[in-house]
Amino acid sequence: MGRVGWVGWSAPFAAVIVAVAFAALSRATGTARPYVADVLLAGLEAFVPLAVGLVAVTTIARDVGRELHLALPRAYLVTLGRRVAVVAASGAVASIAFWLALVVTDWWSGPGPATATLVWLAPTLALTGLALLVATVSRSVVVATTTVAAMWIGQQIYAASMAASAWGRPFLLFLTSRVGVVDGWLTNRLVLSLIGLAMVTATAGLIRRRLLDEEER
Amino acid sequence: MIRYEFLMQIRKRSLWISTAVLAVAMVVLQGDRGPRYVPDGTPARIVMTNWAVLFGVLLPLGFGMVLADRLVRDRRLGVGRVLDSLPTGPRTLVAGKYVGSVAATAVAGLATMLVAAGFEFAARRDPALFGWAFVAFALVMLPGLLFVGAFAVVTPMLITAPLFRILFVGYWFWGNMLSPLFLPSLTGTLLTPIGDYAASWLLGETALYAGVDGILPWLRPEPGATAAAVSAGILLLFALIVVLLVGPPLYRRQQRAA
Amino acid sequence: MDIKTRDLRRDFGKVQALRGVDLTITGGMFGLLGANGAGKTTLMRILAGVIPATSGQAIVGGHDLSTREGRVAVKRRLGYLPQDLGLYPDLTPREFLDYIGILKGLDDTAARRRQITDLLDMVGLTDVAGRKLKGFSGGMRRRVGIAQALLGDPALLIVDEPTAGLDPEERIRFRTLLSSLAGTRTVLLSTHVVEDVAQTCRETAVMAAGRIVFTGPVADLVSAADGVTWEVTTAGPAPAHGVVVSAVSRADGTRYRVVSAERPAPDAVPVAPTLEEGYVALMRRLSPAATP
Repeated sequence: MGRVGWVGWSAPFAAVIVAVAFAALSRATGTARPYVADVLLAGLEAFVPLAVGLVAVTTIARDVGRELHLALPRAYLVTLGRRVAVVAASGAVASIAFWLALVVTDWWSGPGPATATLVWLAPTLALTGLALLVATVSRSVVVATTTVAAMWIGQQIYAASMAASAWGRPFLLFLTSRVGVVDGWLTNRLVLSLIGLAMVTATAGLIRRRLLDEEER
Repeated sequence: MIRYEFLMQIRKRSLWISTAVLAVAMVVLQGDRGPRYVPDGTPARIVMTNWAVLFGVLLPLGFGMVLADRLVRDRRLGVGRVLDSLPTGPRTLVAGKYVGSVAATAVAGLATMLVAAGFEFAARRDPALFGWAFVAFALVMLPGLLFVGAFAVVTPMLITAPLFRILFVGYWFWGNMLSPLFLPSLTGTLLTPIGDYAASWLLGETALYAGVDGILPWLRPEPGATAAAVSAGILLLFALIVVLLVGPPLYRRQQRAA
Repeated sequence: MDIKTRDLRRDFGKVQALRGVDLTITGGMFGLLGANGAGKTTLMRILAGVIPATSGQAIVGGHDLSTREGRVAVKRRLGYLPQDLGLYPDLTPREFLDYIGILKGLDDTAARRRQITDLLDMVGLTDVAGRKLKGFSGGMRRRVGIAQALLGDPALLIVDEPTAGLDPEERIRFRTLLSSLAGTRTVLLSTHVVEDVAQTCRETAVMAAGRIVFTGPVADLVSAADGVTWEVTTAGPAPAHGVVVSAVSRADGTRYRVVSAERPAPDAVPVAPTLEEGYVALMRRLSPAATP
């Protein structure tokens, strides 16, 4: 936990707080209830995954950016995985707690309990996978965080056109909060989750190959 | 000192890679109302201002990300231990690092405008495109870069670079792109660093959301030359306050803790 | 440039890093010895004006370090080589030195650049002056460090653990260089490597647990081990009494040098002590249980 730092595990909670604060501000300035509910849903679907993705980069970035001379490279891969898992677990805890709070206070406008987890899990996997893969390939925190940021903002801007397009909808990170639980929602969640998992797996493979090359040398 | 801060920043590959990737992304995503599709014969002023608005959507994200570690890295690298023993005070150090690194970042931004001007020139054959590339950059993109740069360079000393990056992405969307019609946002106000007011003045029509109804109506005057100047002035003022008043004590605190 | 401290204290929260340091240094090469955690680096940082003291007085070259003006005045005439020296990896040594020189207030560009060329030559880095610092070894980085400390021809040089992590050849080169610098300036050398002080300093102080426990000529510290330094050669285990300072394998067994108040073995012979043995004897007298 220590190597992850306080930012690593607190960032998802900070994202929740920002979402709640923004929703409160919206309500206070007379915004209609459905829009406020969308803001809270966006907190779960957009803010927390962004926080997890960006912080995951920094937990490994310093290491993948350097030439490492390791006595136990395989064990080191486990260490890196553990650090990312801490950040991901923190994101999961923050997300579940937030979802429960929204349900209890009758502010939840997402799907039922059976699939509610996918609201935050799918974009978290996708953004985190993207962040880790780009960080590993580019060996740069800046390039990785910029890519994630651009993906996030770009999809926010083009959410409507992506949702309206047959090829775009499966890849829209924010389908729930920007459109709703519509046709193709489950496909969208599954596609994003699988892509995210594939990118995480590719990242692990790349790091492992790099560490093994070091070992051989 | 500014010269070396400039050199260190301009040599950062990640600055150029992220700028290029973001610029290409915007070119690809511009849609049929983007500057590429502006009819032949359109004045160079309009063409290049549209490019500045287009690039202004995403490029500042990269600028903020790349500038976020400029001051915190002195502690990370351990250079701060030597710098602290020198007679130059923290205000000069912070200001020098800000000016040098933001200037280098501005070069990357200007370069994208000039490349766009080059492509447009191939189609439109109007040499004024290059001059307007400079003007549009200076009026639309530069004040925002100075504003974003100040916060990017100073804020991480308070909340760490990772946390700054997360909040910056959220802010960039909320403060520049989220329509103020349905949710409270700073989009379309004089405080918007995307250069909406300057672009609206140059285009002669609202570029994005400048002047559109929303919270804080006194910050949403009708677009025009005065509003554009006031907006740039406010952004510069904030940048100066952050760099000259907030930055130095934070830098001194960071160095003492090292 | 002389240094005077009186009852100097520095706390970091509950930790008392300095507990009333009284020290007077009048010039030349002065060694500050002590184990890790003794407070040497904290003292160096206060004297370099990097951190303030919690209480007490520190006067350097007549300037009071408790005032901002005093600290700036000292910094103008100071060269500081910190323990963990950081460099900008994307600058070359020449560029880095120019950067530091500008911040030191050396505004005459031509004179500054001439000085940099001379310093790079002095530390043997002329051939790599145009290479980025990213690829430099520890010893090369330390040489850049001493060069930046010498910019502006400072009257006071504070050097904190300069030879830590260097190979033997680099360490000798460093000591020789430091010795040559002491003639016209005050050099305060802080180290836990006794040999660094033995080879270069006439006067020394020893710190332990935030206090000065010895100050005086190096010869006096050596004398602390007079009559308590022994040599014994044995094929068996090391002597149980005293502190083993060195152990050298030979054909007829291992020759041990031991600091002990009583003869550590029947066939042990008394020998003239070295500075290292003097240091060990002093620390044993202060804290017999704690000395390793």
